[in-house]
Amino acid sequence: MKSITRSGETTRAYLILVLPAVLLYFAVMAFPTLFSITLSLTNYSGGKVFGEGSDWKFVGFKHYARMFRDQYFWIALKNNFWIMLMSVFIQIPLGFVFAYTIFRKLIRGGEFFQTMIYMPSVISSIVVAVLWQTIFSPYGPVTDFMRLFNPTWENTIANDPNRAILPVLFVMVWFYTGMYLIIFLANLQKIDTQVIEAARIDGASEGQMLRAIILPALSGVIVTSAILAIAGSLKSFDLIFAMTSGNPARRTSVLSLYMYDNAFRGSPDYPLANAISTFMVALSFVLIVATKKLEKRFGGKE
Amino acid sequence: MYRNPNLRRGIDAASAFFAKAILVFLLILFTVMTVYPVIWLLVSSLKTTQEFQMNRIGLPKEPTLRNYPMAWKIGDFSTLFVNSLIYTGATTIAIVLISFSAAFAFAKIRSRATPILYQSFVVGILLTLQSIMVPLFLMTNAVGLYDTRLGILIPYIGLGLPMGVYLGTEFIKSIPDALVESAKIEGAGYLRIFYKIIFPMSAPVAVTLSIMNVTSTWNEFMLINILASKTSIKSLPVGILKFSGALASDYGKQFAALVIGMVPLLVFYLVFRKQITKGLTAGAVKG
Repeated sequence: MKSITRSGETTRAYLILVLPAVLLYFAVMAFPTLFSITLSLTNYSGGKVFGEGSDWKFVGFKHYARMFRDQYFWIALKNNFWIMLMSVFIQIPLGFVFAYTIFRKLIRGGEFFQTMIYMPSVISSIVVAVLWQTIFSPYGPVTDFMRLFNPTWENTIANDPNRAILPVLFVMVWFYTGMYLIIFLANLQKIDTQVIEAARIDGASEGQMLRAIILPALSGVIVTSAILAIAGSLKSFDLIFAMTSGNPARRTSVLSLYMYDNAFRGSPDYPLANAISTFMVALSFVLIVATKKLEKRFGGKE
Repeated sequence: MYRNPNLRRGIDAASAFFAKAILVFLLILFTVMTVYPVIWLLVSSLKTTQEFQMNRIGLPKEPTLRNYPMAWKIGDFSTLFVNSLIYTGATTIAIVLISFSAAFAFAKIRSRATPILYQSFVVGILLTLQSIMVPLFLMTNAVGLYDTRLGILIPYIGLGLPMGVYLGTEFIKSIPDALVESAKIEGAGYLRIFYKIIFPMSAPVAVTLSIMNVTSTWNEFMLINILASKTSIKSLPVGILKFSGALASDYGKQFAALVIGMVPLLVFYLVFRKQITKGLTAGAVKG
């Protein structure tokens, strides 16, 4: 008898503890995700979803086909890939180099440099975007700076469809490199200092230590960082939204902005917007799995 | 290649020296590039728009704080500041309490439901806001919560739960079972054990999680931008964006508004630097 009341109490406690989190999570994240996938397969364009007066039906993959035929989709996708390449090949290596410089104490005051380089990451991306928009504008200090070298320099970056993405990429390096610095430094500090000392006494050069001890110890973190970079590059929205709104001529758009434009600017096209977001989830999933596979195949021993 | 071992050692030492010099130079250059725009912004906010147009890089001749009260008023910052405080405070407290109580149940109470529930939270860490933006907008409208504080808070809390449940569960698992068992033998129920023993013991992770949520909620823009249209509901980032479009050429006020938007979190960062970086690495480990 006693054991039954005990298990009753346990079940009740479990439900009380778990239910608020589960209900909120399913209402805010799990259900909307499924809802989004469903919407992408219908012709829903506003109005009621259920009950009387609801007017929509399944139309298959029509909106995906429409998305793949849209030139703005390809412009946005291309920019997402630029951002991804920039994160993986500029932010991560820079973050590593800075972490290594601080870790090996090649310079005094490592704490100070670490604090300063990570600082931009805590500032709101809207503040960062508006600040840099002004800095790069024809009336901003970048123009003054360039005219020191070439007095007739005209600042047309923001209007040039082919180069307008460059300031955005630059600001992303400025904004996010600190994050990789912190991640790498935290993991470098986990390496047993005795191993490094022993190698030094045995006469290993800095380069040999880097190859034989430090890089192998970090291979897992490098993959994690690459995954963060891939997921993060698909998420980028605020900064571009506030800095260029995707212009000129949608040439600095990214997938999330392309989706936003279709859902919330002008007349809403919810099915297309949801096809885009479903594509984004699928793409990030594929890229993350591919990164892990590549690591298994070529990655060092951990 | 080099016959003379001394010469070879000399070349090695020289190249190592240059390699180190390049690393140090890069680090200093990048730090200057990071800090300079922030200092430039602070200095420029002390110039009038007229003076800024004449003198964009130098120090102000007559520093003035005039821009600040004007930007504060135009941007409706009294309202937005209070809203940001409410959203950040309520979201952070709710996420910590709700996710840690679930985490305790997942870590210490045996149940067949745990594996599938816990896994679904972990998958949630990878979901992005973009993938649920349109449904959230439609749902918020359908239940009549558009343009209300509650309509902002519910998704904010929900979005923070996966990370909270994950960090909480992994931490509480490391607390010895014996502690829970002995409290049970003394007759304490699970809820009492949670509030009296587990929650106080989880304080370090709770602090890390809170700090992560303070920065992300304070800076959140995308969701509130689509779920609110009234100024009385919006938060600081939405207000600051006002200074980019129509008001963009009124530089003095724009810079003051940017400083107002930037300073609270910079102070927060300099105070909680250690915990912020700890939270970042804790979040990144999930892989």
